[in-house]
Amino acid sequence: MAETDHSSAEDATLVRAARAGDTGAFEELVARHRDKIYARAYSMVRNEDEALDLSQEAWVKGWHRLKQFQGESSFSTWMTRIVINLCLDELRKQKRQRTDSIEEMDEESGGVERQMPVVTVNPTERLERGELRQRIDRAMDLLSYEHRTVLVLHEFEEMEYKEIARTMGCSIGTVMSRLFYARRKLAARLADLKAEI
Amino acid sequence: MIMTSEQQLKLQAFLDGELPEKEARDAAALVARDAEAADLVAELRNTRRALAGFEPGLKVPESRECYWSRIERLIQRLEPAPATAPSVSFFGRLRRFLVPTGAVAALVIVAAVAVLELGRPGVLARPETEMTSPDSAAFTYQDDANGTTLVWLSYPAESGFAEKAVH
Repeated sequence: MAETDHSSAEDATLVRAARAGDTGAFEELVARHRDKIYARAYSMVRNEDEALDLSQEAWVKGWHRLKQFQGESSFSTWMTRIVINLCLDELRKQKRQRTDSIEEMDEESGGVERQMPVVTVNPTERLERGELRQRIDRAMDLLSYEHRTVLVLHEFEEMEYKEIARTMGCSIGTVMSRLFYARRKLAARLADLKAEI
Repeated sequence: MIMTSEQQLKLQAFLDGELPEKEARDAAALVARDAEAADLVAELRNTRRALAGFEPGLKVPESRECYWSRIERLIQRLEPAPATAPSVSFFGRLRRFLVPTGAVAALVIVAAVAVLELGRPGVLARPETEMTSPDSAAFTYQDDANGTTLVWLSYPAESGFAEKAVH
């Protein structure tokens, strides 16, 4: 029997077919959105292998939960939420396994960043896109997962404070505080990186 | 002016459009009159802009087939086994048919033989019977097939049996 060509079908059509058990339709959905799901996982865990595993795990979870997808958001947004939750679970697990350092305790309370001088010069001004990406990438590596996650959810996923709080299981006040310190710390790191050049 | 932590967070919320109208107006007024507040908002805005241009354009470092094959394997592994009956060989099916059929046939044969045997005259009658009565010291032999009954009586009891034939 000839395989159905899914390449021209819309996401909604593919979701319906996949829900009925058509793995070919689901494979097409994976092919369309895999880069975005992988990129989101990477932006949170900052490790290629882990991001690859988590993104694939997210697709498996997506397949098993297809019946729960009601189409209130786009399929890609729905899948992104799944991978975000998986990454958060993984990061929490990793955090429980390691002893919290004094620096991390400082980060949570935010005491250091509150006193930091304001970076008055835009450290990313006149930078090539590639160079900017590289710098931000390095600066993001230095953030704790809580701060990085809040930034990712707010800046890349464009979530409101309320939604971030729900996703991360914390209060809106905590979200505001983490976002503030994450931004301030990132600004300081970017300024440091500029000074190093 | 040294800003409190609450004021700093409010300025950020103002930048993110998360403040109600009245508080947003207050925040805007603070930024307009206070250099420190204006610098902080500028710094936060710069960082936000930098990140907006950063959305990582990462691509999966594997081919479509390779990436999908692992997903497919995981899906199959976690999929509940379909509730189909296990396949049975031809001989298995034959045995399933023959065993009960054979049992029924055997029962039919046994029943037929029994009916035929019971239908013969005299089958139900006891062919030969011997009976001893300890109290009376008598011994009886009955042969229905020949229509004969023999009874031995002890007479005198101590000295032996007196035989009497009854027809």
